[in-house]
Amino acid sequence: MTGVTRRDLLAGTAALGLAAGVAPSARAAQEITIGAVFPLSGNAAAIGQDAKHALETMADIINGDHAIPMLLGKGGGLSGLGGAKVKLLFADSQNNPQIARSAAERFITEDHVVAVIGSYTSATAVTISQICNRYQVPYISADNSSPSLNKQGLDWFFRPSPTDVDFTKAMFDCFAAFGEKTGEKVKTVAIIHENSVFGSDSAKLQVSMADAAGIKVLANLSYQANIPSLAVEAERLRAADADVLMPSSYTSDAILLVRAMHDSGYTPRAIMAQDAGFIDPAFITAVGPLAEGVMSRSAFAIDAVKQRPAIPAVNALFKASGANKDLNDLTARELTALQVLADALNRAKSTNNMALREALRATDIPGDQTIMPWAGVKFDATGQNIKSNPVILQQQKGEWRAVFPFEIASAPPIWHIAR
Amino acid sequence: MAGAARGTLTMRRRREILLGAAILVFLALLPLGVGNVYLRGLIVLTLLYAGLAQAWNILGGYCGQISLGHALYFGIGAYTSTLLLTRLGVSPLFGMFAGGVLSGGAAFLVGLPCFRLSGHYYVIATLVIGMMVALLAANWDFINAAQGITIPFHQESWTDLAFRTAILPFHYVMLAYAALIWLIAWLIEGSRWGFFWRAVKDDVAAARSLGISIYPSKLAAAAISGAATGIGGVLYAHYIGFIDPDSTLDLSLSVLIALPAVVGGIGTLWGPLLGAAVLIPVQQLSVAWLGSAAGGIDLMVYGALIMALALARPEGLVSFFQGRAREEAADHG
Repeated sequence: MTGVTRRDLLAGTAALGLAAGVAPSARAAQEITIGAVFPLSGNAAAIGQDAKHALETMADIINGDHAIPMLLGKGGGLSGLGGAKVKLLFADSQNNPQIARSAAERFITEDHVVAVIGSYTSATAVTISQICNRYQVPYISADNSSPSLNKQGLDWFFRPSPTDVDFTKAMFDCFAAFGEKTGEKVKTVAIIHENSVFGSDSAKLQVSMADAAGIKVLANLSYQANIPSLAVEAERLRAADADVLMPSSYTSDAILLVRAMHDSGYTPRAIMAQDAGFIDPAFITAVGPLAEGVMSRSAFAIDAVKQRPAIPAVNALFKASGANKDLNDLTARELTALQVLADALNRAKSTNNMALREALRATDIPGDQTIMPWAGVKFDATGQNIKSNPVILQQQKGEWRAVFPFEIASAPPIWHIAR
Repeated sequence: MAGAARGTLTMRRRREILLGAAILVFLALLPLGVGNVYLRGLIVLTLLYAGLAQAWNILGGYCGQISLGHALYFGIGAYTSTLLLTRLGVSPLFGMFAGGVLSGGAAFLVGLPCFRLSGHYYVIATLVIGMMVALLAANWDFINAAQGITIPFHQESWTDLAFRTAILPFHYVMLAYAALIWLIAWLIEGSRWGFFWRAVKDDVAAARSLGISIYPSKLAAAAISGAATGIGGVLYAHYIGFIDPDSTLDLSLSVLIALPAVVGGIGTLWGPLLGAAVLIPVQQLSVAWLGSAAGGIDLMVYGALIMALALARPEGLVSFFQGRAREEAADHG
């Protein structure tokens, strides 16, 4: 009411000018600005646009009025900062390390963001995290999985989600647990991967972890991505006939591989995929019943609604935000990254960078307060979440079901590897 | 007649070096008027590309050998200096020379077989060699393959070209680089080699009949151009602090290096600078302003600008000024 009275009293252009000058600063006190750098154009544009929807969904949950059973799920802004609202700014990195760097620098110096979130590819994450470190602003790595990122010796780097090492380790943990449970132990694996960074690094990790677990690698095949035929590789895999086939492929190659194996009359006893093409809905549509029983690692399990009751409501909001699809491995991680940051801001009760870093370091969120299947969020000295255990999903009757770890599983595994 | 012609040439060259000095002073003072960190970074990048495009211009413009593989020399420079610093602790001030020598040598080696090809075949050869090396680098574990190499920041140091957040030092480093390459181009324009190269560019057969040895001329131009590009790569690596094959060896970078010279005016002294001054800010600002709105609009704006410039001024931006100078000359006449 007083606002109205004052506005009534103040007339004339000078007063209007004054009001215009006052209004933004008054509002700014209640808005916490966060910068998000993602590839919004170029070859990874679709992923960047999804990330934008995911972050906007979480901002809406924090700012709005909701009753979602998770941390900050009630909405109403950040109570620790007097109900301040979260405001997101987006910048396009074009998947280019130089553009990503200058976008982060612009956010920090011009928009005075309290933190930066990003960035899908590890090359852009390197330059963003380095520049954030120089300006002493936290960088929250939402969906970068390269294990080298938290080993750069940075003091302002925080990653709630698992690394590629965690992902591959989860596969071998899963083998051990299934072997224990069913008595059908994994003794041999066959690895097939595309010869890109993603494929080669994945295969390298798998070979070393197989060695450590005493599992024999019967075949380790690499192929050129988007190859016209994988018939020869399928034959060699059939000849190897390992207990588990471990492919690292993108969509078109994944489809090709599964069809080529089918054509040669070979049905692997188990497939454990490194995400990517095998988790793409297009793969399931293309190969239909051949996808039955395929397993993949993931950071997210959408069917774990019993253990993570917030998932349906959050997923509905995400769908309605313009994304028009269910949450997936990447979008769930992006959304959770903002939740982790907002929680730290809430506890810091300040936008001061030192206070925020202390709050981030003190983060300890139980898993059931998020939508993620993790044990929780707690950072080590390098800024890596030590409680972010990945999950293993399995295609069962056309649905992805979480099958490992058992405490998050929504269905028993299909596991018949014994000869 | 001949004396008068030489007189106007000397006068023109004197006018150019004076104009160059004036622009240098202006650019040296420019940061005083620009407090905004983002804009300062933008100017640094523009200066880098002005130097790179001028380096490309030495081979592509003056000698007429269009290369779409200059990212190769850029990448060799960037990797040489980065590896020297991160593995052996060698200062980039030395790395700059090492990078320049290696990339100049690489350009010479690429030239050995490829200058036997003529016309479009040379363009295709440079393009293919560039792409091949990018692919090899992405799989070469010794240089961290596709993961790239980070230059960690330890402390402010001129010898390591490491500055926490200050952009000003790099402003002067890049300005010195752009000015040096410009000066080399200016010297070439007035030298015997410069006349040889332009003769080679205009008509190979006629040049040969005048006693110019074509093949060594091209090799010399390639070596100078490659070395100048490599030094640019060194500076880029230390400015950004991270290199990988995608950002230092990719075909798109080869195009980015050539584009300012082509749009500004190929084979001219001022074209690369003008082209960089227009293209780099438009490219970067369109990403910054439009990039978050909807995917790709910024790229469309950038592409439309290049098309408009190419249609309006096929000879390059520099013709805006040349046209006026010619009219002035006509008025005086």
